[in-house]
Amino acid sequence: MKNELVLFLIIFIPIIGALALPFMGRISTRLRNGVSFTLVVLSFLFSSFLLPTALSNQSIAIVKYFPLGFNFILSADSLAVGMAIVVSFISALIILYSFDYIKHYENQNEYYFMVVLFLGAMMGLVFSGNLILLYIFWEITAVTSWRLIGFFRRKEHILRADKAFLVTVFGSLLMLLGFIRMYQETGSFDLSTIKQVIKLHPISDLTIALILAGIFSKSATLPFHTWLPDAGVAPSPVTALLHAAVLVKIGVYVFARIFIATIPLAVFWQTAVPVIAGISALICAGAALVETDLKRIIAYSTISQIGFIFLGLSIGSPIGVAGGLLFILMHGLAKAGLFLCAGVVEQNAKTKDIRQLGGLIQTMPVTALSFLFCAFSVMSIPPFGGFFSKYMVISGALETGHLVIAAVFLFGALLTILYLLRAFNMVFLGEIKNSSVKEGSFIMLLCVGLFAILSLAGGIFIQYPNAVVQEITRQLFSLR
Amino acid sequence: MIEAFILLLIILPLFAGVLSLILPRLWRGAFAVILSSVNFLIAVYLFKKELTFSFPWAGFGIDFSLRLNHFSGFIILAASFFGLLISLYALNFLKGKDSAKQFYAYILISISFVNGAVLANNLVVLLFFWEALLLTQYGMIVIGGRLAFRTATKALIISGASDLCMMAGVILTGYLAKTLLISDISLPLDLLGSLAFILLVTGAISKAGSVPFHTWIPDAAEAAPLPFMAFFPAAIEKLLGIYFLARITLDLFKLNTNSILSSVLMIIGALTIIIAVMMALIQKDYKKLLSYHAISQVGYMVLGIGTCLPAGIIGGIFHMINHALYKCGLFLTGGAVEKQAGTTDLAKLGGLGLSMPITFFCFLITAASISGVWPFNGFFSKELIYDAALERGKIFYLAAILGSFLTAASFLKLGHTVFLGKVSQKYKEAPVLMLIPMVILAFTCIIFGVFNRLPINNFIQPILGIRAAGHNFSGMPANFMLVIVTVIVLLAAFLHHFIAVRMNGGAIRAAEHIHQAPVLSTIYRWAEKKYLDPYEVGIKLINKLAKIFWRIDRGIDWLYGSLIVNLTFAFSRVIHKIQAGYYIIYVIWSLVGAFAVMSFVLR
Repeated sequence: MKNELVLFLIIFIPIIGALALPFMGRISTRLRNGVSFTLVVLSFLFSSFLLPTALSNQSIAIVKYFPLGFNFILSADSLAVGMAIVVSFISALIILYSFDYIKHYENQNEYYFMVVLFLGAMMGLVFSGNLILLYIFWEITAVTSWRLIGFFRRKEHILRADKAFLVTVFGSLLMLLGFIRMYQETGSFDLSTIKQVIKLHPISDLTIALILAGIFSKSATLPFHTWLPDAGVAPSPVTALLHAAVLVKIGVYVFARIFIATIPLAVFWQTAVPVIAGISALICAGAALVETDLKRIIAYSTISQIGFIFLGLSIGSPIGVAGGLLFILMHGLAKAGLFLCAGVVEQNAKTKDIRQLGGLIQTMPVTALSFLFCAFSVMSIPPFGGFFSKYMVISGALETGHLVIAAVFLFGALLTILYLLRAFNMVFLGEIKNSSVKEGSFIMLLCVGLFAILSLAGGIFIQYPNAVVQEITRQLFSLR
Repeated sequence: MIEAFILLLIILPLFAGVLSLILPRLWRGAFAVILSSVNFLIAVYLFKKELTFSFPWAGFGIDFSLRLNHFSGFIILAASFFGLLISLYALNFLKGKDSAKQFYAYILISISFVNGAVLANNLVVLLFFWEALLLTQYGMIVIGGRLAFRTATKALIISGASDLCMMAGVILTGYLAKTLLISDISLPLDLLGSLAFILLVTGAISKAGSVPFHTWIPDAAEAAPLPFMAFFPAAIEKLLGIYFLARITLDLFKLNTNSILSSVLMIIGALTIIIAVMMALIQKDYKKLLSYHAISQVGYMVLGIGTCLPAGIIGGIFHMINHALYKCGLFLTGGAVEKQAGTTDLAKLGGLGLSMPITFFCFLITAASISGVWPFNGFFSKELIYDAALERGKIFYLAAILGSFLTAASFLKLGHTVFLGKVSQKYKEAPVLMLIPMVILAFTCIIFGVFNRLPINNFIQPILGIRAAGHNFSGMPANFMLVIVTVIVLLAAFLHHFIAVRMNGGAIRAAEHIHQAPVLSTIYRWAEKKYLDPYEVGIKLINKLAKIFWRIDRGIDWLYGSLIVNLTFAFSRVIHKIQAGYYIIYVIWSLVGAFAVMSFVLR
């Protein structure tokens, strides 16, 4: 019973707590900040508490039956717990960073309310054992991200927030159609029931395609991706949250949840998904090489890297899946660091245009070094963590005989090196274009520094994350 | 607990490197010298020992397994030797320079990575350390100056691209061999095997700096601090690259003389020799000229190993260590000149031999070694390579011997211009701490030449094991005809130099007649404009491709931003027109609806 209570608390501490944050903000901003950080940290601690149980392959579940298949099912397997830990940890650091970032702006109560609710909904989604429940949490994240992208309330910001909302909701409606078809085909919305039924007759391709459309729109994969670079108008911690921890990882996670843990992906899709992911990875890497807005460059980089994750998860080999899961962690750490660094630069230099920036390493060395470390991790250069995740993903592709796809992704990896170095060189090296730029505040530097160091430590001490990832993969494959 | 020592080879320099960033600036140099000495002593202690060490690491066959055998012990010994000499040299060379802040840290960390890569007995661990060297390479070039980051970026991209190829090679090899343990792999060169071979070789020769992965090296000669050039492209990158190339061809794959891949390697080697030495010939900068030779000499090693004959392999590996010795020494003389005269521009230098006699002496010996003059070390390794090359095909031998002629010619030009001729200005001899490494290297060149039995029998021949049993590669070359040809070629180079100096007017113009020769002048002009630089061409292509990708992306965005929006508005305008408020329209719609429902129900 204790574990079930913890599972319940992981989700509802942030969701209920978020509702109280605006009231606290009326009393004291410090109290509100402290509480919002605590809520997320609690979520992280409770998730970590569940890890040993989940890794030992014991199921933790809360099940309440409702009519019409709308059952309330929360279940914590190792995949869900691992994801929850990664998400809540990165989110906690991002909220810590927000303290100094967001204090210059208005509507802070709304900010903290939305961010914590966002995280809570993500937690709910991660542990959902029922497709309808999953869909509800999914749409809560859509609403909160819509508010957060348009946080600064300027006309074009609101338009872009609308765009993000419309594209992702369009996708999720398609997905809902897919879920309904799934119900017609299997007679249940419960993932565990679907898994049993599916062994007898496979799911139709149309259903899979509909669900994939939802996943791709949320994870910003071609052709549903253009809302993500546009979402760069949001405050930097929010973009970090969208890109590294929560929003785009939702699609990836649901992909793993449905198409690895529940329905084994048919052979056709094992090629189709990597092909889509490969095109997405290449096109967006190319776009990142042309863009001149720092946050847009990093955003395109996210889309490109998400392609790698999809490759690993869909290719159907254990090392690929493990690589994809490891990629979620390593990319989350590094990309959060990159966006937070971009936030420091943006706030202090008052511009995001890399052509107007230069030589900032002189005045902001910590930010520059953190940016470089995180960039190296995304470029997959050892000893940074990104090396192993990319190695394993490519390994998965090559071992299943997808030589051309592997070559495409290797070219994508080369482009990654090109565009990240280009961004780093233009922002931090070369001629000093504005000498008055100051370094960020202590807390902000602490956060970016932590992300940089964790990216490095993740590579050197690869045995710890990989032990967990391997166990998750083993459970995913043995359950089939 | 002797196993712990090989872990110490990796951990000690790594921690020392990180620590040196925290130490007060004045101590960093001395600290680096002490730590690299310790590293050297450990390497000496471990040489000729056989050890293995392993613990589980990342799973999926990726164990952190290390293996010390004769070959790896030898490379570690050599690398630690150069690490020690370079940190000693840098003490004085970098004194008061801004780059001294980080240089020692990078040198120590590089030593750690080199040790890790050489000791690795797992392909992924090898790749891990191998690719990690990109970081210190990037760092060492960046600290060279405000604009050095451009070269650093170029180096990182070229090496990064080839390391990605190597990553694919590692995966394929591991997949084909069903293990990642290097000592357990022995693959045939079938279709996939050949692909894996090519991918791995790409990584190896790119690290060694062979054509077409070489173009960052001459740029780095101008941008990076000189000790970097003496340490990275001249010494450890050759050690690593050729070490791995030898491991690939000897252990990982069963390459033999019948294989077409052997010929491919030899062609790459021959091309590297000729292309790079032709570029070296026309350089007008001390360091840049040396950097092109650092590329050209790789050609000999690749050619030698590519022959798949014992003589060629031994010659290639022997040439690797010889090259590291004399090229490192040559760069250090260049550094001495740069430090004392303030420039490495050949046009501004002259007559330094009198004022810097010890530097001149070191230059003479190392230049003679690289030109293959008897009895210095370069002579013996080159003869072995000639021997094997001739056996595989006259054309390879011709390329090698032509390369020797041009090498000798360009060093005659360099030495003549810098150390002889008019005394333009009086300079002091370099400080003692800089002279010591140079003299040590020069003397090692002599010892490795005169007593070549010592290195060949102790270091190199055991690498081949039974494959070279019964052969004796030390002493004077077996084929005396080849020696005569070599002597003739060197004499011809002398003669050519003196005629050219007289005809072209001045030692610095000694190669002008080749530079201005009909077809060559066009090629040279293109090369100087970087039209022939694969990197520049590749980057241009990629940027064009990126533009196309970006257009596609914008096109998709246009679909969302304009097309769908306009369609929606057009649709709503139509609906709007229909809902105009006329009573009759609603009646018609109701009737149509009722009819539709009725026809559906009554069907």
